[in-house]
Amino acid sequence: MEALEVKNVSKTYGDNKAVDDVSFSIREGEMFSLLGPNGSGKTTLISMITNLIPMDAGEIKVFGETVDEKNLEARRNFGLVPQEIINHGFFTVNEILGFVSGYYGLYDNRERIDFLLENLGLTEHRHKLVSQLSGGMKRRLLIAKALVHRPKLILLDEPTAGVDIELRNSMWEFIRRLNKEEKLAVLLTTHYLEEAEELCDRVAIIRKGKLLKTGATKELVSELTLKQVILKLCKEVDLKSDFLTAKKDLEYTFQLPNHMHVGELLNSLQMDNSCIEDIIIREGKLEDAFLNVVSGENYGS
Amino acid sequence: MIRQTVLTPLVNSALYLMIFGISLGEKISMAEGFSYLAFLIPGLVMMGSLNNAYQNTSSSVTNSKFHGELQDLKVVPLSHASIVWALTLGGLTRGAIVGLMNLIMGEVFHYYKFGSLISIEHPILFLVFLIVGSLCFANIGIAVAFWAKTFEQLSAIGNFILVPLMYLGGVFYSIEGLSSIWKMVSKLNPLFYLINGVRFGMLGKSDVEVYFALGVSVVSLFLLVRLSIYCVKNGEYGRF
Repeated sequence: MEALEVKNVSKTYGDNKAVDDVSFSIREGEMFSLLGPNGSGKTTLISMITNLIPMDAGEIKVFGETVDEKNLEARRNFGLVPQEIINHGFFTVNEILGFVSGYYGLYDNRERIDFLLENLGLTEHRHKLVSQLSGGMKRRLLIAKALVHRPKLILLDEPTAGVDIELRNSMWEFIRRLNKEEKLAVLLTTHYLEEAEELCDRVAIIRKGKLLKTGATKELVSELTLKQVILKLCKEVDLKSDFLTAKKDLEYTFQLPNHMHVGELLNSLQMDNSCIEDIIIREGKLEDAFLNVVSGENYGS
Repeated sequence: MIRQTVLTPLVNSALYLMIFGISLGEKISMAEGFSYLAFLIPGLVMMGSLNNAYQNTSSSVTNSKFHGELQDLKVVPLSHASIVWALTLGGLTRGAIVGLMNLIMGEVFHYYKFGSLISIEHPILFLVFLIVGSLCFANIGIAVAFWAKTFEQLSAIGNFILVPLMYLGGVFYSIEGLSSIWKMVSKLNPLFYLINGVRFGMLGKSDVEVYFALGVSVVSLFLLVRLSIYCVKNGEYGRF
């Protein structure tokens, strides 16, 4: 069964098509990332998946249950970590996690709450009011809130904004562990593209409400990015190649499509290979692929 | 939190009892033959309950809006009716506690002034009106707080609609003394029935036929629950 199915979903605010006929799905236990610049419709999409705002057209299913105002079952299977930090006025970390458990009908959820507090590094802060927590702790509290009911799908809306690197890593480690142990599916939106590259099996790129590209992260990277090859030569050579992009002293930089072999490049140069002192090859980053797609360049090649 | 939710309203009622019940009350004689203080106590009990039931639900919702956590309720598997009844029972709890504390304090004042306690004539009716009234106002609080987009709207409803209705609903005076037009106008105020119901429960006398008052109150409660469910369904969940 699919963890999440989004079918032809649209949402319009006035004249602005915030989400325009978007379809994608996430398999059980899959880690999926939604990439897009600010204002591309990521949060609107997540808000529709979580019943926060109604959609204008289309259908969303979470583990086969249609998301709408009446279907409470659909909401049992996901947890939401919102983008904006919420400051619960009067309550302590412990109390809040108890209340949220209650919303799901879990009267005694001590074991799960302790597990989450422990793994998110909040155990020693459990009796603090939310207003006494640091930004990073509040973020972790939001993650704990989204997980108290053992959901099968977690929606993370730019969860690492304002979180330092060490904390970010430990957060991802924990999410990865839940992915393995509890088959937790993940829908992540983030600006840290390397994170998506490292964490997610598949990526969708969204721009101005439209899904431009969906695919396995590795394939997308290889399809959309250029491989960089730098040749260090022993002497000045007059090289003619379409792929040559820069020359600095005796270093010649080439940009190749990912499918092209280095050998092909060398053959095409028709030069004396004994003069090559060093070859440096850099793999394309998702960051570049992402920028290519959202800026409209190289897309569709 | 107890200080804010229970003690503050008690101080309020104590002031009313001192000013109106003890000092001014001596100059007022009631037609039915009991003291003004005895007449005032059930009115204050009910006013405290209604006010606090309203405050409890409306401030819970607006605080959640203010902190941005109200939208949590849309994400979790809770039905609109569950949300309404959970909040309503919270309002009832505070309303009933404040009402009963006011009753105890009223009795203390009465004992101090007249050397005797007021016996409650119809305890079950007294409780029924207290509970129905608190439930009604808890629901008004929910409806208003979900509807409001700003703090100003919230306090406008309180100050311009609820407080006047409460003060004109017969907390401080009997409508027997009013001219026939104002008697009629008073009878259009649903609070009049709640306050007089509690007064009947306590003193055995009121300005209105008690079962008619009960009927009006229960119908009001039914309509208000529908209204608050509607507001929870269509209301504003965004941050203030």
